[in-house]
Amino acid sequence: MRNYLNFFSGLTLVFILFSCGSSTTEQSFNTSQLTRVSQDEVDKIIEAFIMAEDSSTIEIPAGFYEMNSQLILDNKTSVKIKGAGMDQTVISFRNLKSGGEGVKIVGKNITIEDLSIEDAPGDGIKAQHTDGIIFRRINVTWTNGDKSQNGTYAIYPVQCKNVVIDECIASHSKDAGIYVGQSENIVVKNSIAFGNVAGIEIENCDNAEVYGNTARDNAGGILVFNLPGLPKSDGKGTKIYDNDVIDNNHENFATPMGDGPNGNTVTMIPPGSGIVLLAAKEVEIYGNRILRNKTTGIAIASYQVTGFPAEAPNWSPYTTDIYVHDNDYERNWYQFPDFSRELGKLILVYNAHGFGKSQDIIYDGIWDEKLSSTIDSNPMRVCIQEKEIENLRFTRFVLTEGEDNIGSFKEYQPFQDCSVEVKTDNSGLASL
Amino acid sequence: MELRKSEYRSWLLVISFAILLVVFMISCQKTNNQESKKTAALPDAILEVETANGKYPYRRLSTYGFFTGEIKSLNPAQEVIFYKPASSLFSDHAFKSRFVYIPDGEKAQIENEDLNLPKGSILVKNFYFPLDFREPKGERKIIETRLMIHEEKGWQAYPYIWNESQTDAVLKVVGGEFEIRYVDLQGKGQIINYLVPNKNQCKSCHNKNEIMAPIGFQTKHLNNELDYGQINSNQLEYLTKLGHLDGFKGASAHPSMVDYEDESQVLNVRAMAYLDINCAHCHSAEGPASTSGLFLTYNQRDPMKLGINKTPVAAGSGAGSFKFDIVPGNPDESIIIHRMNSTQVGVAMPEIGRTTIDQKGLELIKAWIAELN
Repeated sequence: MRNYLNFFSGLTLVFILFSCGSSTTEQSFNTSQLTRVSQDEVDKIIEAFIMAEDSSTIEIPAGFYEMNSQLILDNKTSVKIKGAGMDQTVISFRNLKSGGEGVKIVGKNITIEDLSIEDAPGDGIKAQHTDGIIFRRINVTWTNGDKSQNGTYAIYPVQCKNVVIDECIASHSKDAGIYVGQSENIVVKNSIAFGNVAGIEIENCDNAEVYGNTARDNAGGILVFNLPGLPKSDGKGTKIYDNDVIDNNHENFATPMGDGPNGNTVTMIPPGSGIVLLAAKEVEIYGNRILRNKTTGIAIASYQVTGFPAEAPNWSPYTTDIYVHDNDYERNWYQFPDFSRELGKLILVYNAHGFGKSQDIIYDGIWDEKLSSTIDSNPMRVCIQEKEIENLRFTRFVLTEGEDNIGSFKEYQPFQDCSVEVKTDNSGLASL
Repeated sequence: MELRKSEYRSWLLVISFAILLVVFMISCQKTNNQESKKTAALPDAILEVETANGKYPYRRLSTYGFFTGEIKSLNPAQEVIFYKPASSLFSDHAFKSRFVYIPDGEKAQIENEDLNLPKGSILVKNFYFPLDFREPKGERKIIETRLMIHEEKGWQAYPYIWNESQTDAVLKVVGGEFEIRYVDLQGKGQIINYLVPNKNQCKSCHNKNEIMAPIGFQTKHLNNELDYGQINSNQLEYLTKLGHLDGFKGASAHPSMVDYEDESQVLNVRAMAYLDINCAHCHSAEGPASTSGLFLTYNQRDPMKLGINKTPVAAGSGAGSFKFDIVPGNPDESIIIHRMNSTQVGVAMPEIGRTTIDQKGLELIKAWIAELN
């Protein structure tokens, strides 16, 4: 009887740990002690957004705001939205019953700072068609356990110009924590993205700089994508430097457990990916600490690897003009690549260093055969100049011979003697 | 005895662990019982007297003088003109009646395909539910009236919410949530949570290049016959006769949409009419969903822009387990069907304006996709 009891209590303990463990998630702040504000005060904030005048400040005092309506700032100029601090002003959208995002911003020269957004059913904060948008000390997160039910993007500027994301925290989004789409002139700095499917994503953008950030414990750390069929068809010019891209080994929970990838490209990201380039143009990656990402530190891939139709006007599926240099890498000996996603399996099985070996840099080796009959001339201008590259694990795949003839090479030399200049200029944003 | 005692203690342990387990399971769940209290309408507060001074918006709907007699009868005053777009956006089965006020001596203009209303014009849209859908003209409850006023600075939207006794409606820029009860066509009692959008949510749909714009009051939607009671007339022709429209060159000279509920029309035309009125206000190159590259205007012919074998961009859970917006011949694998068939925020499309599924519309689009190849 005693044994049975011990067994039972032990089992219970394990059960408790596991059942809560999978549904409680790391939160940056403990906001449970905040005072819940009255419905009147909630309405006052909705009204303040609606009635905001140009060149004014919307102050949101400390407190826990349970919203049942979206906060929308529409076509205003030089408005600042200001909370009392990420741990003091918390706006929860868990009771929102309609609307695509919690906060929506359209306008010119808008700043939003010092507050937290929780549990928005769609996106956390979306800014669209805004020239001059600053997110500063904004924390956007989802607090519930069922992660595939979480929102899509935490911080989401799209079709914007002159975007600054500074000292922000984005966590637990089931797509990208910080997602900048179809925009130009972008700085993402000093921010933290953790527990997302993708930490930071730059998609179909021009002139972006991503530096001084920490992307950790996501499925993929930092992504630069160009997707087909969008109004802003192909973006170019991204610098990624001085970031900590570490331990991005979180499961990919973009789709529910047991479901495979769907048509959203992010669902295909294999857990354990540090930096992923997909159909990216003119990207420089340097001075980053790319540590303990179990599948690969950097993946350089063309859109064809998705298997989706790869034709669209004014858009190219190839990744071109890439310069990777002076990054630090670290692998954990006991970790092996992901096998839940196709790209993970490819690396796990077919890498050039042996079954199950984590990689530092992989290149899918897909090139435009109109430009060159061989990849050895490096027609896509992928330039890799890492110190002690002989000690890194580099794999270039051969995917052009059909699924039954997948090959791989570890020779990095064809991609070493080259030069690629990536130009970005965000000096205008540096002072913001 | 000794044995019994230990057995007793053992059971105590078992029970306490069971309780602990239950407590933990409960604590792991989100408490979600803080639903806001829902009412059926605004309470009958004593409303301040307001005079029509020409400074919009008024606090009370009655101040505008759109309706004669008892306001709840919605009988338009003489200068207030009834109109009805060919097709209607699905809004949780709500009935709608629409009116336009064009200032005396002023004219709307048809320019290219656009129908431009002069400054000072007001669009009036009432949302109501018959208590019994089998008697659509019987007793009804008006929930809200949305005004769009063409002000000096452009269009502005104002939501007015009706009071319990249906004697007036009050401007409520923050919107609201109400519980609506009615008997449906099958005689079954229905309860829905009806959401009145906040003022700025109006622009989630009424948005053309970030400028607020009417949706239903367009040439293509009004270029059709309407029963005005005494007469039947093409709506654009009627406005012309009243001296409120310039540029109408006869019905055949302008685009015209069908009523998607009109089963005598070709399936493809009905489907495109449905997508246009229900989706294209966002899903067009000028709308807020231009980010998606999915454009659903009635005259869209580019397969990729229509979503045919197109992968989603930012659909999140909206994509479900599917790869493409539309898979020709396979509605059940098409994301568009998945999103029409959901009421979950983040999945359901359109993003605002409904909390139930438009079954008829769903069947129409399913049938259309099934026939695509």
